[in-house]
Amino acid sequence: MSLETSSKNNGLMDKRSNRISVLAPVSEVDRFREYRRMWATFRKSYSSMAGLFIVATFLILAAVGPSIVPFPEDALGSIHLERKLQPPDATHWFGTDEVGMDIYSRVVVGARTTLWIGVTITGIAILIGVPLGLLAGFGNIWVRESIMRVTDVFLSIPGLILAIAIVGALGPGILNAMIALSLVWWPGYVRLVQSKVLSIRNETYVEAARSIGASDFRIIFLHILPNCMSPIVVKASMDMGMAILGAASLGFLGLGAQPPYPEWGAMISIGKNYLPDWWWYTLFPGLAIYFTVLGFNLLGDGLRDMLDPKQRS
Amino acid sequence: MAVSRRIATKFIAGAAVLVGTLVMPSLQMANAAEEVDGKLYMVIAGRQPVSHLDPALKYDLSVRMMQQQLYDALVKYEGNPSEIKPWLAESWSTSDDGLTWTFNLAKNAKFHDGSPVNADAIVYSYKRTMEINEGPAWMLDGFVEPDNVTAVDEHTVSFKLNKPYAAFLSFLPWWYIVNPALVETNAKDGDMGKGYLQENAAGSGPYMLERFEQGTAYVVKRNENYWKGFPYDNDRMGGVIYKLIRESAGQRAALIKGEADIVTGLSVEERQAVAKRDDIDITSLPSLTTFGLKMNTTKGVTADLNIRKALAYAYDYDSFIQIMNGEARLQTSPFTDAVKGQVEIADMPRRDIAKAKEYLAKTKHPDGGFEVEYVYVEGFELERQMGLSMIDAFKDINVTVKMVPMTWPNMVALGSKPETSPDLLAIFATPVSTDPDAIAIQYHPESFGKYYGSHFLEDPELIKLIEAGRAETEWEKRAPIYAQIQQKIVDLQPEIFGMMRNRGMAHRTWVKGYQDSPIRMGGEIDFYGVHLDPQ
Amino acid sequence: MGQLILRRLVFMVFMLIGLMAIVFAISNIAPGDPARLAAGPDATNEMVEQIRVERGLDKPLVSRFVVYLTNLATGDFGTSLHTKRAVFDDLARYFPATLELVVLSISFAVLLGVPLGMLGAVFQNKVPDQTIRFIAVSGVALPMFWLGLMLQWYLSLEWDLFPLGGRLGIMTPRPENITGMYTVDALIQGDFRAFREAFWHLVLPSLALSLPALASIIRVNRAEMLETLNKDYILNAQAQGIGPFRVVSAYALKNAILPTLAIIGLRFGWMLGGTVLVESVFDFPGVGLYATKAAVNSDFDPIVAVTLVLGASFMLVNLIIDLAYALLDPRVRSQI
Repeated sequence: MSLETSSKNNGLMDKRSNRISVLAPVSEVDRFREYRRMWATFRKSYSSMAGLFIVATFLILAAVGPSIVPFPEDALGSIHLERKLQPPDATHWFGTDEVGMDIYSRVVVGARTTLWIGVTITGIAILIGVPLGLLAGFGNIWVRESIMRVTDVFLSIPGLILAIAIVGALGPGILNAMIALSLVWWPGYVRLVQSKVLSIRNETYVEAARSIGASDFRIIFLHILPNCMSPIVVKASMDMGMAILGAASLGFLGLGAQPPYPEWGAMISIGKNYLPDWWWYTLFPGLAIYFTVLGFNLLGDGLRDMLDPKQRS
Repeated sequence: MAVSRRIATKFIAGAAVLVGTLVMPSLQMANAAEEVDGKLYMVIAGRQPVSHLDPALKYDLSVRMMQQQLYDALVKYEGNPSEIKPWLAESWSTSDDGLTWTFNLAKNAKFHDGSPVNADAIVYSYKRTMEINEGPAWMLDGFVEPDNVTAVDEHTVSFKLNKPYAAFLSFLPWWYIVNPALVETNAKDGDMGKGYLQENAAGSGPYMLERFEQGTAYVVKRNENYWKGFPYDNDRMGGVIYKLIRESAGQRAALIKGEADIVTGLSVEERQAVAKRDDIDITSLPSLTTFGLKMNTTKGVTADLNIRKALAYAYDYDSFIQIMNGEARLQTSPFTDAVKGQVEIADMPRRDIAKAKEYLAKTKHPDGGFEVEYVYVEGFELERQMGLSMIDAFKDINVTVKMVPMTWPNMVALGSKPETSPDLLAIFATPVSTDPDAIAIQYHPESFGKYYGSHFLEDPELIKLIEAGRAETEWEKRAPIYAQIQQKIVDLQPEIFGMMRNRGMAHRTWVKGYQDSPIRMGGEIDFYGVHLDPQ
Repeated sequence: MGQLILRRLVFMVFMLIGLMAIVFAISNIAPGDPARLAAGPDATNEMVEQIRVERGLDKPLVSRFVVYLTNLATGDFGTSLHTKRAVFDDLARYFPATLELVVLSISFAVLLGVPLGMLGAVFQNKVPDQTIRFIAVSGVALPMFWLGLMLQWYLSLEWDLFPLGGRLGIMTPRPENITGMYTVDALIQGDFRAFREAFWHLVLPSLALSLPALASIIRVNRAEMLETLNKDYILNAQAQGIGPFRVVSAYALKNAILPTLAIIGLRFGWMLGGTVLVESVFDFPGVGLYATKAAVNSDFDPIVAVTLVLGASFMLVNLIIDLAYALLDPRVRSQI
């Protein structure tokens, strides 16, 4: 449903690209103006800015996390039984866990794990989904039908369930969880790209390009892909959040990352045994997941509004 | 704006009604214990399912807990320290040569269907267990032949032993007596009633089976006509529900809420945390139980004695005490302190990285660089924390640990064969007797296939010593043999020797009459004398 | 219409076969020996070999797929190593529980989401609207299992409003098995006490499960309502003295139906996936918990069966929603 609306509403963008890529050379000034207009749109929205802020914080933490936390060795499983299950205080901001590891350090270092998980899953999904979508859009009816029907089958089953089945076959672990989630995540991109290709393929400027002898390859890279970029970016931002949630869910079920690996879902999975007396063990990783996913969602919403003005409400 | 406000009023009114209807019925739901027809059912929330009820098959804590209530044996362990009390047998005598034991039975003992528990029933039950040759059968194996258990008269049974056996009586509390008529009626294709007794009971015990809902709950009803009566006077006590709650958080919540009266298997932290409440008490008792990280001595890296020694010296033993919040002591011998004949072994391994590296240097992996697999019970917090501590400790000798949580049945199955038995297996083993043979035998090939035999240690000298120890009747001669056995086991290092922990359960204060006994396993509750008395 | 349903059903059968092929492929990528897995950890080598022959695992892949399909067609989903029962029997026991949970969640999502969305629009950019928007944004981002834990500990343990988990109290007599759904069975038999108790056990897990759908329904209804409120006919109706409540219920509700339906179709898959999480938190014996336990124990037959059953229900629900769409909106009818 949402996919259809977004592709329908991209007509405006298409015309712009049309102008940019085929008819007239665009001056730097024009492009600058364009960006400034988009940024203004984005900036006006309080929630988009909040999303950007959260995601930026998250990325910074993921980058420098291990070097700024007070107990970096705790994130790798160094235990200190003499200070176990201590409530939050000045030394241990988020308290300590059942074997004395500093939860603040583990949550912050967990950002890197989480980023790695999110980027890998979304990245693999795009790498599989986009080429297949292009192929389905450009190929003959047999190619298209076979790709799209396989995609349909994958979309017909709840992602988390299929992921559990795959992890069940491969065995629990962070790597297997990521493989499983990547395998259930790509069909969305096939649909997105394919519908985009179908809608652009017969636009005048593409026809024009083809008539002057441009190859399919050239058309894809010069005309189709740039046009697919914004919906892909929007979807990828949303998917980052969802992939993080999915990996955390597998971790929670004991099928994803295994302790002492610093992963938020796995932390909650153990921490739940310590509710409610040792609430900090579950609370902080939970909040970390919530804010990260929230950030990517808000950012995704903002990007959509910005790149796709007609959708703005 | 007036429009919106009026709409809003409607919405708020609607929401109020909704919340109201949600809260209303819950006010009537709060109740103390489970109550059925005015009778109180005590809820024990445990984590381990009852895999079956047959007294002749393998036992574990939950199986034995149920059997103790549904069945009676000739004698029973009670109290602290654990003592053998007359039960179906009112008295007994031994011949001078120690070979013939004669038991005089209580004359009023009745099975649940009203038929008498007579000498024939005793003989039938012993023969059945010996012929099926599983579960408790090993305890008398080689000492009593099935045909040498005989009924002298209606109320007298005699056992003729092949050779004197010092520990004979101490094993009898685990030989439960089944109702021969009931078992024979339900036996199929010569299975000696094995199929029937899986989920049915044919006993004479203080409780009768009411419902066996595998994987969920097991309900027993108090046998109000129990031939031995009850040690309390409380007509409201109706029965006991052993309910499975697989997570300790859920167990704790149920206890706090009053949905469970007793919970077992909590960690020390959890017990200490719930004990802060006025309506909850906890028990704590040093147990006979040994804890060891059993190593497979036939396969993989741990087949090498030097690797086993290296791991044993690398392990951080203080972590045992810290994980238990001080409610534990380190084992100073393969035998726990309460076992007769225990001696302190001087060179018991303690954390010493230099020594660990020394041993490692003698192996094919002088610099470490290998992985060991550590298998433990899924959801058992204590064992999981030991795994984390192991990861940390073994880092110092460059050995990595792969933690593999498993359900108890899967874990036992894995440890029952030398090809599948993992490098390290976390095992709590409670001996069935205070006699040293009950622990020594765990290092004898006779124990292979049992959960505590996953080391598959086969040392001719040790085997000879163990067999000598059990055949001897005079304690003065046995004691030095057991001292030798303990030293030998430590030398062979089939496991990382662990700790003796205090164990206990948490219960609502309205639970009365509970008495722990060290011979029971952690989480195994004898609820014969327990009753509920909510104010 | 009839022809249309038939065509969709035929299509669904093909999709299911495709799904089976995928699941079959997955069960064969499993490292390790499927025969040994099926035989269980306790099996001897002879037992493993026997199972290999029995299940045709010594045959080539394609003929194995055919055998697999035939087994499924006869209702043979294999045996669970964990429960030691036929998977079919397990599913018959656990699926109704999950169905009950999901249906109630959808009801919560709709019953709370539609009015909240409208309320937000009415109070656009005021405090109630901001609160509601906050719920809508958070709903998708909150980890469902975490929310479930919080609800359980605070609403159930601290405030004692709800039971902790499970489907019924242990000693409550089970209503006679008709549909397998306790609430429905209890109502059929007029056992109001059991109904109330079963319903009570469902409330917290369904609330947690409904959140993502609830959030989306709020969003779409708020947007729809904003648009409607600015339409001429609403202003007209108000000018004619028609009460605001009637305006909302007559016009706005009608407009809300289609997008809400679409959201349910979109979110239903998430919801089925979510059952795995909330059932695990609330120890609720449904297919989700069953699948998780099976996955942790590498017990493959149940996982495959659950995947198929949930996939089929997902397809079925989407079919029903598409049909409802077609019934309600003539413009769509031609497109299906």
